[in-house]
Amino acid sequence: MGKRVVIPRALLYYEYFPMWKTFFEYLGAEVVTTGETTRSVLAQGSARVVAETCLPAKVYCGHVISIAEKADYVFVPSIRSLEPQVYNCSKFLGLPDLVRGTVKESPPVLDIEIDVNKGERKVREQIHWLGKHFTRNPFKINSAYEKALEVDRAYQRLMREEKLTPPEAIARMFGIEAEVEKPKAKRDSRAASGGSDVSILGGGDSSMLTIALVGHPYNIYDTYINHNLMQRLKSLGVRLVTPEIAPEGALDLGTAKLAGKPYWTFEDEVVGAAGHYLDADVDGLICVVCFGCGPDSMMTDIIQRAAKARGNKPLVTLTLDEHTGEAGLVTRLEAFVDMLYRRRADSRGLARASV
Amino acid sequence: MKAYLGIDVGSVTTKFAVIDESDQLVVSQCIRTQGKPIAVIQQGMRDISRQLPEGTEIIGVGTTGSARYLTGVVVGADVVKNEITAHAVGALQYVPKAQTVLEIGGQDSKIIIMRDGIVVDFAMNTVCAAGTGAFLDQQASRLSMNIEDFGPLALQSKTPVRIAGRCTVFAESDMIHKQQMGHSVEDILYGLCEAMARNYLNNLGLGKEILPPVVFQGGVAANKGIVRAFEAALKTEVVVPPHHQVMGAIGAALLAHEHMSMNGSVPTKFKGFGVSETEYGTSSFECKSCSNVCEIVVIKTGRETIARWGGRCGMWDV
Repeated sequence: MGKRVVIPRALLYYEYFPMWKTFFEYLGAEVVTTGETTRSVLAQGSARVVAETCLPAKVYCGHVISIAEKADYVFVPSIRSLEPQVYNCSKFLGLPDLVRGTVKESPPVLDIEIDVNKGERKVREQIHWLGKHFTRNPFKINSAYEKALEVDRAYQRLMREEKLTPPEAIARMFGIEAEVEKPKAKRDSRAASGGSDVSILGGGDSSMLTIALVGHPYNIYDTYINHNLMQRLKSLGVRLVTPEIAPEGALDLGTAKLAGKPYWTFEDEVVGAAGHYLDADVDGLICVVCFGCGPDSMMTDIIQRAAKARGNKPLVTLTLDEHTGEAGLVTRLEAFVDMLYRRRADSRGLARASV
Repeated sequence: MKAYLGIDVGSVTTKFAVIDESDQLVVSQCIRTQGKPIAVIQQGMRDISRQLPEGTEIIGVGTTGSARYLTGVVVGADVVKNEITAHAVGALQYVPKAQTVLEIGGQDSKIIIMRDGIVVDFAMNTVCAAGTGAFLDQQASRLSMNIEDFGPLALQSKTPVRIAGRCTVFAESDMIHKQQMGHSVEDILYGLCEAMARNYLNNLGLGKEILPPVVFQGGVAANKGIVRAFEAALKTEVVVPPHHQVMGAIGAALLAHEHMSMNGSVPTKFKGFGVSETEYGTSSFECKSCSNVCEIVVIKTGRETIARWGGRCGMWDV
């Protein structure tokens, strides 16, 4: 039996899980993930790291702590830069060290450093260093890398073309149970909106409101930290669109439109998605960010300015934090959706006669 | 007479409003929530029913405020709406051309931007409750004065002192420092009003286009000092409508009216004023079905469970 590698279900899991899984499995390893984020995952993560650490990093540490079964490695890459002169947030840069420093009991940390500014050769070297933990055959590592990139392209295409969320696309590709919480109650109003084989992004008709969610996937698709945001919006009768399903190249164009050259590695998911959806046929935008996220605080400002300049596209920013009370979030969502409905009714001349 | 009832259960006070079919206010009531929303709703229902003219029939009920869902199941609401919408609808009733609504309640504050009678933008205070009614209450009691005297006294200020308004902890230590330096109470109070207006506009008003007419409602609007501080900061008149304190409840009643007239012949779900005499019991437990350990709340009348909520997955919801 091959070596066992754990990939925590947090941060870049939503971006790269299919690619990483393919790479390790090609080299004969067994890949497992942690479960969904829960109250105890977050509580354990935030108890371990210093208070200023952002919520997603606390969640990440919580996932590493939650690894119960014996594993040979936990894969914690340091993604420094994926584009020349565009860098990632320091939390991503130092992620392997954060894990080593805070989760002493974790399986050995398998880290690589991806920085394209050091040249393609350096990236290859890192991939080979990673692969050498599993095989001595460099050709096999090369094929594993090619295969992984191929699967990644298929994953991106699947989300874009079939309008799937990352958890849904992962489920489709590997037959893993989708993370989207399935309604259990008989009388749950959500039951109508989400079976496991229907994408949460699908369905509905043009009479419904369409809202674009912009933000990092680890905020939008972690149903614990965002209090089941997507299902809540669905049950308010809203159709959703997300950064991942935008047409190819649209996010980069969006970033260019709003900010010129990107500054942060995952800027396209926030600024780029906003740039795209601000000028698309949607009723409004919800920007999902985390309390304490430095890059997002700057990106949010760029988006707010752009929305204001356009004047006609409502935008609300939801800041996620460790609150378990969801009243603030629910009130904002309800008020935002109400506002969009009333605007639409007004523009169709159905203004409230009685009020 | 046929009428609509609106109830706004906030963190500090609970407001009731009854409007007639032409949307005119018939009676209103405001009582402290005192941490017991159900008991206070029942007390308010008793008070309201005594004040209503003989033969009044409630044909629609709306609830709003942070306990809107709880209130909804207790009294039987036809429409349960968020506070933003309720306050906006209430403000438009009294100032039809309103473009900005400032609302400061006991623990939260909001800004609502409207154009042509439609909400186009809004913000609520986030994690911090600095500059809301609860803090003013606390300061008034520290100075052993009635909150009602706060405003008039602040208006007598000649040279307001500068107070840090970013955080109530700092504001309080600033106030104590200034008081020990020998500044007059009036100047300190008005300084605090200015700090609160500044803090509100810097936080909630950030990036918002605040255009007149500006309407100021919520409990804190009763404080003349804050009103003047807002007028000075915004350089425009700030309108405090009549019944500013119960505006959320009026909005909820108006929304109930709108809802009932849109839904034709559907009868109201209102359980009647008798709910004030019904025994309500609440209890809670931790669900152990998964590691989220959600706190589930159960609301009962006698043996019948009328509501159960609080879980993430909805398996307990009734």
